[in-house]
Amino acid sequence: MDSLTYVQNTFRDYYANNFSLQSALQMIEKREFGFASFDGWMLRHRSFKTKNELTMFLQDFAPHDAYFSCAYYEEPEAEMERKGWLGADLVFDIDADHIPTQCSKIHDEWTCGNCAFSGKGITPEKCPKCGNERFDTRTWPCEVCLDSAKTETVKLLDFLMRDFGFSDKEIRVFFSGHRGYHIHVENEAARSLNSMARKEIVDYVTGLGLDITYFGLSDRKILQGPSTKDQGWRGRIARSAYDFVRNANEDDYKNAGLQTNVELLIRNKKALLKSLDGVGTWSTVKGVAFGTWKRLVEHSIGSISAKVDTAVTTDVHRLIRLADTLHGKTGLKKVEFALSAVSTFDPFKSAIAFKAGTAKVIVSDAPKFRLDNEIFGPYKCKKIELPTAAALLLVCKGRAKVVE
Amino acid sequence: MRYAFSKLAKNDYAKYPFLKAAIKYVQIPDLRIQDLADSNRENILKRAQQRLEEAIFDNIVSRDLHHEDIEIISFPVAVMLAMATKNSFIQKRYALAEANQTYEDLRKESEEKTLEVAKNFGWELASNKESRMPYRFALNLVDYLRNTTHLREKPWKLVNRMLSNGNVYLGIDEVARLLKEEVRRHIEKRLELKELPAFPPKITEIAEKIRKLSEDTIGKTEMEGFPKAIVQVAFPPCIKALYESFSSGRHLSHVGRFTLTSFLINIGMPPETVVEFFKSFSDYNERMTRYQVEHIAGEKGSRTRYIPPKCDTLKTHGVCTNPDELCQRMRHPLSYYRIKVKAT
Repeated sequence: MDSLTYVQNTFRDYYANNFSLQSALQMIEKREFGFASFDGWMLRHRSFKTKNELTMFLQDFAPHDAYFSCAYYEEPEAEMERKGWLGADLVFDIDADHIPTQCSKIHDEWTCGNCAFSGKGITPEKCPKCGNERFDTRTWPCEVCLDSAKTETVKLLDFLMRDFGFSDKEIRVFFSGHRGYHIHVENEAARSLNSMARKEIVDYVTGLGLDITYFGLSDRKILQGPSTKDQGWRGRIARSAYDFVRNANEDDYKNAGLQTNVELLIRNKKALLKSLDGVGTWSTVKGVAFGTWKRLVEHSIGSISAKVDTAVTTDVHRLIRLADTLHGKTGLKKVEFALSAVSTFDPFKSAIAFKAGTAKVIVSDAPKFRLDNEIFGPYKCKKIELPTAAALLLVCKGRAKVVE
Repeated sequence: MRYAFSKLAKNDYAKYPFLKAAIKYVQIPDLRIQDLADSNRENILKRAQQRLEEAIFDNIVSRDLHHEDIEIISFPVAVMLAMATKNSFIQKRYALAEANQTYEDLRKESEEKTLEVAKNFGWELASNKESRMPYRFALNLVDYLRNTTHLREKPWKLVNRMLSNGNVYLGIDEVARLLKEEVRRHIEKRLELKELPAFPPKITEIAEKIRKLSEDTIGKTEMEGFPKAIVQVAFPPCIKALYESFSSGRHLSHVGRFTLTSFLINIGMPPETVVEFFKSFSDYNERMTRYQVEHIAGEKGSRTRYIPPKCDTLKTHGVCTNPDELCQRMRHPLSYYRIKVKAT
């Protein structure tokens, strides 16, 4: 049996025997659905009246990937221009692809589509050798990556609730089934926002275009810098800088670009913290000039902003993976979890779709990984019998082939 | 006593004649177009004409609060006159000029009345009750975004505002400025009426006069828009980079390709030429490219001609490269081009 057939059969088994749509789907009849088949074609512009109807379709079709629109349409089945856009949920995608981590240097590879030049880590924008902008990439959903994505998610959630005022009932969080998290905001007023307005929201959470002159720091004259007790970005900047100053050692300051007066900063730690806490103006700390404050603030902005994929949020017609369906690149489920469970949520446990059976595979190479409580690998050119979920993950990621 | 509870008086409606309830304050609410030609209605028509003339000359429409009735009713008549000119430049200028006056009035307005005007447009605007924040107003985030996304100045960017619990905090001047935008859009929308009524000769005559006046004062070229020939040296840096990148056979991102295509179409390159142009693409597919180009040109699909994203959006998507001095003053690649063409 070839590997693709194996994956297809396994997916079929899941949809026929273990599948149910647990996650709520608001106004299902107004959404567009799309499905990628195992033959490589895409079925779009489908709609379903009820969850039941959709479930039956999935049981029968067993797609490679299943998507639904963040948008609501008058006629979801019509061609794009005639659909009649009624609004769209506010959606955020946080993907390890966009977050630099230590681990990605080991398990991610890219190869230039033009000259075959290759490297490890985050894919560059242009090939360093020939300047081409197309690459073949090989990634891995590892724990460190997903933890970093989760950290970004937590930051985003704080923005959404405290600054944007969305309630915990309007915000839904999902593990994407691959390398990140999806955050959906279902708020009636926000539904009508156009792409430009959503861009402003993205820029807000990523800190793009933030100008410190509007935060009390202008033209080398320090007036009233933000305080930890302030709201909005002001408070965020101050709290982030406060945490940094409180814990930073010499190296941390150097890495933040503050190498010239490290000693002074460490010596004045108390006074700095006092300034950030809103006691007195910032300028009163002796020897700490505007340039230093500026650098400190910029560093704080970088660490407190949430790294989201800008293209997803600004696209008001976007198709997003449907919760409880399988991700074609991993065989893991996209799963929803409670907002309150963010810190304890374990994607490598909750997203496992297959709990029984095994498969024999030949693994070309794979890093060490964990599923639930079991550790696998690392593997290199190894023939091995693995539990279905582990075998499926390796095959889907192109790291293994099925034997027999 | 239907209006006993309103916080606005007739005098306020003369100041803000675009408010929904304004017309109810006038003694002749069901005035018909035909009646306007009557000699005893002459002063209404006269004031309406004046409103447009003021817009053309001064970019601002004054208020005559001593004649409330005429002031209120001449507003919808002026809107109709602007429609009768069938000239989008005059219409836009009129909407802006009324909005400019509103801005001046609102800056000096009481908090209570400002809230009423905002309410008329469905805004969730409230007096700020958070004593720790030095702002007079709190505006709902969605209302804020709807009215600021097209404003380019940095202080309007959401990220530079005080945003807390779904409210953006604003001063009176800022609220006045945003309401001005709302008023401008509101009037522009009223002017958009697809099917024009048959205007009596007198109206057509005045409309023609206004058109002529506008051409004389503002100039024909300014009213028409883009130059016809394509001037490559006037391309902004981002377009230049896309153009060069593409002509050396490199792959363009989706946004990049859209930006380049829509830019070329909007500066007057025929869709057919654009398709030819894209033929040197490595992943060129004639049918697909033709479809996309014609789509952007508004010849297929939704029939809207797309314009390139504005500078801010290009920045977000990493298309903006090497901005030069002129870029600092621009918010849109097309404006850059328009200005540069004039200079060369």
